[in-house]
Amino acid sequence: MNTTIINDQNTGDTAVLPERIKGFPFPFSSDSYRYSANVEPAHKIVQTDVGSWGSSLIDVDEYYLSDLKEREKVLEKDPSRTAVLPHMRPAVWDAITTLLPAMAEDHPDTMSYHREGNVCRWTNTLQNLELEFTVGDDDSLPMGPMRFLGSQITDDIVFLDPREDTLWLDAGLVTFAADWSFGFDVGMKFMEVHTPVPRVTTEPVINRAHQFLLRLQPGEQFRRTNWTMTVDRRLDTSTESYPEWARDRGTIANDPDLPNRLHLRVEVQHMLCLPHTGAVLFLVRTYLLPLSDIAQVPVWRERAGHVLAELPDDMAEYKGIIRYRKAASDWLLAGE
Amino acid sequence: MRIASLPQPAGTGCESGFRGVVCVSFDSADDTADHDAGGRPRHDLRFTSANPESLSELRSALLRSSVGIRLVLTGSPVDIHAAAAVAAECGLAEEEVTLVSDESGLRVVFCAHCRTRTETVEPIGSEVECQGCATDLEIANHFSRRQAAYLGFAANAEEAA
Amino acid sequence: MTMTALQPEVHHAVKDGLQLEVTDVTRQTESIVSITFADPSGAPLPSYVPGSHLVVQCGTGANAYSLTGSGTAPSEYTISVLQVADGAGGSLAMHRLAAGDLVYVSRPRSAFAPAATARHFLLVAAGIGITPVLSHARACAEWGIAADLIYVHRPGAGAHVTEAKELLGSAVTECSDRVSFQKTLAEKLTTQPLGTHLYVCGPVAFMDAVLDQAREHGWPSARLHSEAFGAAELDAGEPFTVNLARSGVKLNVPAGVSLLETLEQAGKAIPNMCRKGICGECSLSVLRGKPQHRDLYLSDQEKAENTTMMCCVSRSLDEELELDL
Ligand code: HEM
Ligand code: FES
Ligand SMILES: [Zn+2]
Repeated sequence: MNTTIINDQNTGDTAVLPERIKGFPFPFSSDSYRYSANVEPAHKIVQTDVGSWGSSLIDVDEYYLSDLKEREKVLEKDPSRTAVLPHMRPAVWDAITTLLPAMAEDHPDTMSYHREGNVCRWTNTLQNLELEFTVGDDDSLPMGPMRFLGSQITDDIVFLDPREDTLWLDAGLVTFAADWSFGFDVGMKFMEVHTPVPRVTTEPVINRAHQFLLRLQPGEQFRRTNWTMTVDRRLDTSTESYPEWARDRGTIANDPDLPNRLHLRVEVQHMLCLPHTGAVLFLVRTYLLPLSDIAQVPVWRERAGHVLAELPDDMAEYKGIIRYRKAASDWLLAGE
Repeated sequence: MRIASLPQPAGTGCESGFRGVVCVSFDSADDTADHDAGGRPRHDLRFTSANPESLSELRSALLRSSVGIRLVLTGSPVDIHAAAAVAAECGLAEEEVTLVSDESGLRVVFCAHCRTRTETVEPIGSEVECQGCATDLEIANHFSRRQAAYLGFAANAEEAA
Repeated sequence: MTMTALQPEVHHAVKDGLQLEVTDVTRQTESIVSITFADPSGAPLPSYVPGSHLVVQCGTGANAYSLTGSGTAPSEYTISVLQVADGAGGSLAMHRLAAGDLVYVSRPRSAFAPAATARHFLLVAAGIGITPVLSHARACAEWGIAADLIYVHRPGAGAHVTEAKELLGSAVTECSDRVSFQKTLAEKLTTQPLGTHLYVCGPVAFMDAVLDQAREHGWPSARLHSEAFGAAELDAGEPFTVNLARSGVKLNVPAGVSLLETLEQAGKAIPNMCRKGICGECSLSVLRGKPQHRDLYLSDQEKAENTTMMCCVSRSLDEELELDL
């Protein structure tokens, strides 16, 4: 059914595709999309039409250093993107001593981690970094534990404290939010965090997710994907900076450069129950791929086109894509 | 029963180790008077509003008390939510705190862009001008107990100028 | 060595767990021994949440025992086991363990976790109930949080008393009779600073009495915690049979093995995603029999209709289920 130009890349020839496409977690498995409790065990490798993703908990890819640099800039400008309520200090250390060894295991050529009692030694040659710190001693890390963790992984980081039969969003570092404000949400319960989501009261997805997360046992690791769209490769689409990027949502539909400027934004969200504190760690890794790249995979081009055309208005409105989703899907489906 | 006079000088709050019901009212005369303490000792605090002084007094009263106390907050939504945030910081669980809101409909809108707090009686979904950055804010149906405020973000920002 | 090195059959409760070596057995009291396990290769063990328990396979049975360490980056796990007169709960076999024996244990499970927001802990233990509470006391010491401990035991029969006193000093009150315990408990329950959480472990009747008394003194449920072994786990369930109507095959689903696993082992490809009963991918049509629904996906009404089941977690109330497969 696919015609013209790209047929040669349809199958066997995926070797020529760049890594950003081959490793992209394309989120659509059919021509329509609805909310679902799309949770699966972490680490499971997902084969896509042109590659695969998902083997490691913390993905270190070609954007690693540039994304971290971007994060530093955001934090410099707005320190409210990170917060740790006092009772979450142990959870942050728990995350550090869980994630660093996991990274070292996945990337033995560039990273190493050794722990002797409470003294840890961490090497990250990608950043020319070699340091020693003491678990529990906040002063042993130059920028403090939370900022340090945020300087080693590109994921946004959210901690939830299980208490009073629910989960409380009580700490984190979020610089790449997809249209929400971490600083405002600190201190909320899981269900309160989700109040802006359409259909929360009519569809049981969020409630189910809540029950699931409450039952996690220490050490368990799951993940899911979520998606939206972003104009340009802009990682910081927080509510805080909304006035800077909101205008693009109104103008992109008529921009001849739409296929290069408009990106499918996919979040790979990991959910871990930390081994020593039992806190739930929610990690959000953001991937952005322009439609022009999506179109290099004919199956993706078509499927994304249909999903955008079919998505109910309330969901499109909430995702902030309602002003341009038709232009996007028209372009994607024009090649059919 | 002991009714504290208004305003209360710091340090004369409930005695240390208090385990009864602490009734706090903000500028609403006798609203807590009909709260039934269930026969338990009761301590009243009256404030004009939830300002730094009154909140710090509430904080020290709570920190002197013992497990077993209950807190009843009466007044405008703005005041009682601010006080509830202090109670949470002091370690009170939700089930230890009762909020009794008056009908004023007063709420605080927190500007996501400049972090200024603007008081308004406008309903959720409507717009209010931020007192900090003069942006027209849309009041979201998103409430933060810690900020004791609703989220406000730039209205109509997506429309081309 | 007093036991065969390795039990051939791995109990379902310790599946996906660890195989550890007994490195030390220390007698605490006449009837309580402490047993220490370590990885045979000396590798570090998973950290655990204070108050966690370990399921240990001994002989053909498996039992849960509280870990007594703080859970911070452990190189060994230590439990204390009370020998019960009739040997119930495998305590006899446990008491026969000796250094060098290999055992299967689960990963640590958390069902008695300390509240992160607690500013102070009131720990109450009776007898062998000291074990998870000792774990809490160690964690408190590590993070510099104050704790009071009331420990009820028969005279001379207190385990871990020295350690508890080293950790908490004069904040430990030992009671060996009902009257002194009641007096101490009432005094403590009425004088705890705001932000205190109470943790109690001991015989069920003891725990209930302590919790009741705390409630009478105005303690809200958010501040009350009692040890409930295994409550966090899905139990293994009863074995049952499935009859696959379309393929004309009968399969046995043993305890501890899910229906999904059984079908997969029989070569059936069943769509699945979470394997935890939430995503809804693995639903199967039930033609006959009553499923034991254990998922979070189906609504109460759908569960009552008994025509659909989530095979990753749900089982059967009847001996046999007929499925549209
Ligand atoms: C583990 C902790 C989680 C946190 C901290 C979290 C946080 C969030 C936040 C901040 C938003 C944006 C809300 C806003 O607009 O202000 C959101 C949206 C959403 N969340 Fe979660 N979430 C979590 C887990 C989950 C899980 C497990 C599920 C489902 C299985 C889920 C389903 C959703 C959905 C469907 C949306 C709307 C997304 C969209 O339309 O783009 N969340 N979440
Ligand atoms: S695999 Fe998700 S419900 Fe069974
Ligand atoms: Zn403003």
